Amino acid sequence: MSALYENSYYIASVGLIAVGLYVMVVKKNLIKVLIGLSLFETGINLLFIAVGYLAGGTAPIFSTHSLLPGRMVDPVPQAVVLTAIVIGVAVLALALSLTIRLYEHYGTLNLRKVRDLKW
Amino acid sequence: MRAVIAICLLAVIVPVLAISLAEIPFGAQGAATPEKPWIHYISQGAEETGAANIVTSVVVTYRGFDTLGEVTVLFIAAIGLGAVLFSRQQRKGEKLEGASLILQTGCRFLFPLILLFGAYVFIHGHLTPGGGFQGGVIVASGFLLAYLGCADINARKRWLNATESLAGAAFVIAGLIGLALGGDFLMNFLPKGTFNRLFSAGLIPLVYAAIGFKVGAELAGIVANLLEKPE
Amino acid sequence: MVNPVLLIVTPLGLAFIIPLLASVWTRSAKYIPVVGMLFNLIVSLLLLRHALDKPVVVTIGGFPPPFCINLVAGPLGLMLSLLIALVGFAVSIYALGYIRKGATARYHALYLLLLAGATGAVLTGDLFNLFVFYEILCISSYALVAYLGDRDGIEAAVKYLIQGSVGSGLVLIGIAILYGLFGTLNMADIAQHISSVEPLHLFVPLVFLITGFGVEAAVFPLNAWLPDAHASAPSSISAILSGIAIKVGVYAVARVVFTLFDASGLFLFLVLLGLLTLLVAEMSAFSQSNIKRMLAYSSIGQIGLIVFAFGLASPSGISGGLFQLTSHALAKALLFLAAGYMIYRAGSMEISALEGMGKKMPITCFAFTIGVFSLVGMPPFIGFPSKLLIIKAALAQQSVWFTVLIALALAGTVIETVYFFRVVQALYFKEPTVNGQTQQPTGSVHEAPFSAMAPIYGLLILILLLGIYPNLLTGALDSAATELLERAAYITGVLG
Repeated sequence: MSALYENSYYIASVGLIAVGLYVMVVKKNLIKVLIGLSLFETGINLLFIAVGYLAGGTAPIFSTHSLLPGRMVDPVPQAVVLTAIVIGVAVLALALSLTIRLYEHYGTLNLRKVRDLKW
Repeated sequence: MRAVIAICLLAVIVPVLAISLAEIPFGAQGAATPEKPWIHYISQGAEETGAANIVTSVVVTYRGFDTLGEVTVLFIAAIGLGAVLFSRQQRKGEKLEGASLILQTGCRFLFPLILLFGAYVFIHGHLTPGGGFQGGVIVASGFLLAYLGCADINARKRWLNATESLAGAAFVIAGLIGLALGGDFLMNFLPKGTFNRLFSAGLIPLVYAAIGFKVGAELAGIVANLLEKPE
Repeated sequence: MVNPVLLIVTPLGLAFIIPLLASVWTRSAKYIPVVGMLFNLIVSLLLLRHALDKPVVVTIGGFPPPFCINLVAGPLGLMLSLLIALVGFAVSIYALGYIRKGATARYHALYLLLLAGATGAVLTGDLFNLFVFYEILCISSYALVAYLGDRDGIEAAVKYLIQGSVGSGLVLIGIAILYGLFGTLNMADIAQHISSVEPLHLFVPLVFLITGFGVEAAVFPLNAWLPDAHASAPSSISAILSGIAIKVGVYAVARVVFTLFDASGLFLFLVLLGLLTLLVAEMSAFSQSNIKRMLAYSSIGQIGLIVFAFGLASPSGISGGLFQLTSHALAKALLFLAAGYMIYRAGSMEISALEGMGKKMPITCFAFTIGVFSLVGMPPFIGFPSKLLIIKAALAQQSVWFTVLIALALAGTVIETVYFFRVVQALYFKEPTVNGQTQQPTGSVHEAPFSAMAPIYGLLILILLLGIYPNLLTGALDSAATELLERAAYITGVLG
């Protein structure tokens, strides 16, 4: 049980990734698929940050001079996830604009019905 | 049927992830040898860059190229959104309800405060948690509030586009100046100043200010594009 | 010596100011990509001569690697950057006259950013930086596929976006696991320490990275988005997507497999995957009646051939793969550019609507035919030496197994020849029919405008020149293949 508690961040992030993938594959409504995509990306970001955690560490900011560098968490995943979050937001914005135009053309957001392009 | 495919897919991915994550124990960082970049950043970062916020020094100085790419991605999203929504059709018979008096007054009151807070966050990016992106998003949320609540305060699209372009160009030019002066793109060529003061850390506050303006203008532009009546 | 970072930063900076310039002087926006790509072309050529001796490694930010991001402008990166600049330059001239409707300033900004992202991806030496530039490439292409705003375009863009984003997410998971294992994001640093972790634990991030990049590289079965996207995009963008974007995906897969992981156990898998992609794509292309979809499936097939060649993992195999990459980029760009105006004239993308076009647009159809000949591998065009190099590399493996595989690959080529010749036959030897009755050939000879013909002539000349004198390229290709195969040299080049 303690193993579950210790790795709770990993479990949560893999869980989010799994839920996001499930929603993207199963759901029909485009908005729901985009929400699934957002969950998927959130899970990945959480995973990356969790990988960089140092037990007992604190934020890597020298708010006072006396803070010891030995007790700080890894700053690189934080910088990387900052970039990844922004990229996720950008993709979502573009996807939503495409959703608006798709609705104009087809009148529905049901992806099973949006099938003009055949094999 | 699709649920079955999804479950099969997850039955492969989740155990695989779990197995590989078992190799990376949570909370321990393997052998923390000095060659590892993050040890170097924590121990030397404050001296080398002059910023108290190590994450900021990583984002702007050590991995500044990624930040340039990130700024570009946001730019692409704003431009792409504008291009896709360019010839939107008129939505028939849609009328937006105007905001009530309380909402309008509240928004007018809050709008400059939110902008101030956003500016504080991106100006102090090298000292406190925060930075260009975070501050820029707060600024844009102020604009969103203004669009929704008191539609008479809003920036002209032209100004937003101009700010966006100029701030992006400023970032690139700052890097090019470093190239021209010292020999490496995005090198810090300004004095590092006293630690933990506002005017320290060389190029970082300027770059973050430019990013803050850019992100704020971009997201406000995206909001404007999504909310406005199509031509 | 020019700093290679200018190859990336100049197009980026120019793209940032396009909206500003466009609001002041509306017609300036379309000339900026031309200027940017011309600059890249010249700088790539200048740097390539230096890089053939020793890769040019520069750092960004002034700190030594691995504490900062570095660019590795070696022969492979510069050759690809040269190809990107060349095709980008040609298509940007084409777009001067082709892109008239919609938010044109935004099109040109997105176009330039796509090329900047592609250049950045092939030049960088840092794994996460590769991801960021790869994302720049992908997101610009999502927006550009939807540029025309019609039903097909939006639907194709939505599907492309969802699949591409899942792929990018998988790449990021792979990077996260790699960072957890190694503590660094620098490719040379990871490559140096790769043996400190058991191969079994390396298998998972490798699979995630290959699958993620494989979505953009359009290997089977991750290529469901490609036919829709390439067919529904404007023709200039189809040329760039087929010619450049998918190649960057293949480059990323190759960089991960060869330089990062040294995954020799995967080479056979790559060979089989490439072959499978080739055969499935060529057979699907056979039954297409829409010309752009047919060209898109043919692109998938050619990627299969390139992956097959990379999987051979010998210097001649990789040289052959890179040569095929170049020849396909040039030929496919030519085909899409020519087809763009043919479709415009005919008003439809169906092959049946293009019947008799040979009389109405003789030079354009001639260019299309030359592109077909080159793609199929006929001498004296560039497709011939590239395919020959791959065949020789496969036979040099000295095993019956590989001889069988290359025979199957050649079968794919035969199928390709058949369906392409059907198109050529329709262009030249059939009369346009309406309601089953042959019409008299009407319409005067009206070629595409000069802005379209100039890049078409340029590409024609290159295809012919490099086909007759392949030795112009083979020196650079061999250096590039050596760079990909020799990890130790790469690591010492970066880390010293």
